[in-house]
Amino acid sequence: MDFSLTSEQDLLATTARNLLAKQCPPALVRSHVTDRSVQAPLWACLRDYAELGRNNCTDLCIFLEELGYVAAPGPFFASVALFAGLLESLDADSALRDATAAGEIVGTVAVAGLNGFWVPSDDLVKSFIVDADIADHIALVHATDSGVVVTVLTNPGERALTPVSTVDQSRRFFEWDTGDEIGGIIPCSPEAWSAFIDRSHVAIAADMVGTARRLFDMTLHYAKEREQFGKPIGSFQAIQHKLADMSLVVERARASVQYASMTVDAGSADRTRACHVAKAAAGRAARSALLEGIQIHGGIGYTEEHDLHLFMRRATASEYLLGPTSWHLDRISDEIFA
Amino acid sequence: MKLEWTEPDQQFLSELRAFLDEHTPVEAANGFDFQGEANGDAIIAPWLQAWQAKLFDNGWMIPGFPPELGGRNCTPSQTMIYLEELSRRRVPRATHFPGYAIVGPSLLEYGNDDQKTLVSAAIRGDTIWCIGMSEPDAGSDLAGLTTRADLDGDTFIVNGQKVWTSYAMVASKCFCYVRTDQQAPKHKGISLLIIDMDSPGIEVRPLTHINGQAEFAEVFFTDVHVPVCNLVGELNGGWAITQGSLAHERAGLWVDGVARLEQTVTSLVELAKANGCHDDVGVRRKIAAMHELASSLRSLGYKGFASYAQGSSAPEHSYMKLASSEAGKAAFELGMEILGPYGAVTDALRGAENGRWVNSFYISFANTIAGGSSEIQRNIIAQRVLGLPRN
Ligand SMILES: Cc1cc2nc3c(=O)[nH]c(=O)nc-3n(C[C@H](O)[C@H](O)[C@H](O)COP(=O)(O)OP(=O)(O)OC[C@H]3O[C@@H](n4cnc5c(N)ncnc54)[C@H](O)[C@@H]3O)c2cc1C
Repeated sequence: MDFSLTSEQDLLATTARNLLAKQCPPALVRSHVTDRSVQAPLWACLRDYAELGRNNCTDLCIFLEELGYVAAPGPFFASVALFAGLLESLDADSALRDATAAGEIVGTVAVAGLNGFWVPSDDLVKSFIVDADIADHIALVHATDSGVVVTVLTNPGERALTPVSTVDQSRRFFEWDTGDEIGGIIPCSPEAWSAFIDRSHVAIAADMVGTARRLFDMTLHYAKEREQFGKPIGSFQAIQHKLADMSLVVERARASVQYASMTVDAGSADRTRACHVAKAAAGRAARSALLEGIQIHGGIGYTEEHDLHLFMRRATASEYLLGPTSWHLDRISDEIFA
Repeated sequence: MKLEWTEPDQQFLSELRAFLDEHTPVEAANGFDFQGEANGDAIIAPWLQAWQAKLFDNGWMIPGFPPELGGRNCTPSQTMIYLEELSRRRVPRATHFPGYAIVGPSLLEYGNDDQKTLVSAAIRGDTIWCIGMSEPDAGSDLAGLTTRADLDGDTFIVNGQKVWTSYAMVASKCFCYVRTDQQAPKHKGISLLIIDMDSPGIEVRPLTHINGQAEFAEVFFTDVHVPVCNLVGELNGGWAITQGSLAHERAGLWVDGVARLEQTVTSLVELAKANGCHDDVGVRRKIAAMHELASSLRSLGYKGFASYAQGSSAPEHSYMKLASSEAGKAAFELGMEILGPYGAVTDALRGAENGRWVNSFYISFANTIAGGSSEIQRNIIAQRVLGLPRN
């Protein structure tokens, strides 16, 4: 058991951090709210890292944490974490997998039915399809009488996608009435499904931990700068204790994401449980970071002028994506009560 | 990053398992759930004292130490494997931690050659030690202690009072912090003395714990003579040792805290089943949230351990102390909630497991007070880890 990052992983984290600080400043996230096209140049830089989708989950999560830290818009999560993850667990067509790993094509997945839970269903309407408008492939996961099947379709953008708006604009969600498009050519075994969904849970948890860390860092910085009663508000014990608690919940979520990603790479028997724990822990971290983050910012945190809300919105949407915290707690209780 | 243990680590684990399978005392099987409190009236149970000596003699007391100090020179990760295995089996090393966890390591670091000869008996448990830090007016503010030691020739004359001194009534020696310079700033006038508890002028008055057991005491010093050779480290250099000795205690503590929390979660599941509320979504979610907390703390502990093993200071230990002690209280509280009207019942007839939930709840209060309260841990995290200004 060794939780220390390798020097390659340290390098990956630093590279991602530097790249994203430059390529994805808050101004970009802000302009993306009204101008979808600004994500394209960012994706042009990030596509070089698309191969992370087929490699170590630990490396992928290191990268995703940095994407969450800057609330990066664009198809990286949908294509590299979700679409590639599904293709790899299905052992799908190698040309498609290669093109995805090379960042040449962009894919997304359609899993949740109208009820919003990411569990394969026979619902013909699929929802919460991430960034479908900028994907050129869509993998449709559908439950049939003879098991789960996956259909890979091209050009989802040409289909009748209905936007599903959330508080967050950095990722876009769509609903799609699939009608008669379900061909179901690739069978998806329970093992393949579980490999995919576990990896997806820890992936969104990594992204969310990054956003929670950003909220925390901004808040800590603000507490050191902002003065009231002639001293920094960060010298008041009430504020210090909130920050101590915030950092604790963020740090333990980070550690649980790290552990879960290690179980994915090791194909450990503990994988499914660990990934639910990671998502639930990250959800708690995100919630606490945004609640206390806003509180410690005072009035300025309540405005759209300040950047804080960009990350608060991303954190909220991530909390509900791929199963809200309560759903993951229910899966954990299924396991421990079994 | 990797999940598996190395070949030598696995070898280490199987040796440990073989030893524990063969030698674990039967008493350990039922006396040590929840808070690790021994059943029975003796403050230090005789079987436990024998067990500590056996661990020592077989190199399993502090495995990272050399054989003459009860170890086998193992690596830091093997130490963690060791602590985990013991916690998993609910097998204690000893209940009186001062000797092996604080005095031994501190003397190795700060003691002179004569004082170092006391270490092996401290770790083997042959000498029972108590720690004299807290005083009526110096708890969290330890540096405000006023028990004084005045040098008279080659003897310190000690006067004052300690309180909450665990094991004082059975200890033969006290690791005692005293003020040796009345004028210096408060952190700079403290020294550490080794005081024989049978010295004339010492009076020990036991105090009863919240759970009804007398395990700590008030200790009064009236003109107690202590030879100058019993000074540990530099005169007026005691403060640095307080920081060190607490660090020793914390470094390994998290494994135990987390393992106990995990066991409590398992017990909560059993309790919910036994009380027919295993289908209650609210109860299930609360227990699952507790599981999530325990599990993420375990990961955080591993992470802290990784940086500690690489020689950097690990803020994770303050996090672990704060989180596991607070979580422990919340977990026992949840058990009482599941018991509903019987939450506070302690009798053998109607109380669930003789009231062990409410008893553990009470005992767990100590964890958020002793060894640096939760508020003090938050201060430490805020000021030393996050770099916020002192208030
Ligand atoms: C079971 C048990 C065993 C113990 N064993 C020993 C022992 O063997 N040897 C020994 O020397 N001591 C021992 N202690 C004492 C223990 O270390 C002290 O109780 C502890 O340091 C707190 O001190 P206090 O009790 O004086 O509380 P106080 O320091 O008076 O604290 C009271 C409250 O004020 C809060 N507070 C204090 N300062 C601050 C601050 N700066 N900011 C915010 N809040 C603050 C505390 O968090 C607490 O909530 C033991 C205690 C217990 C409960």
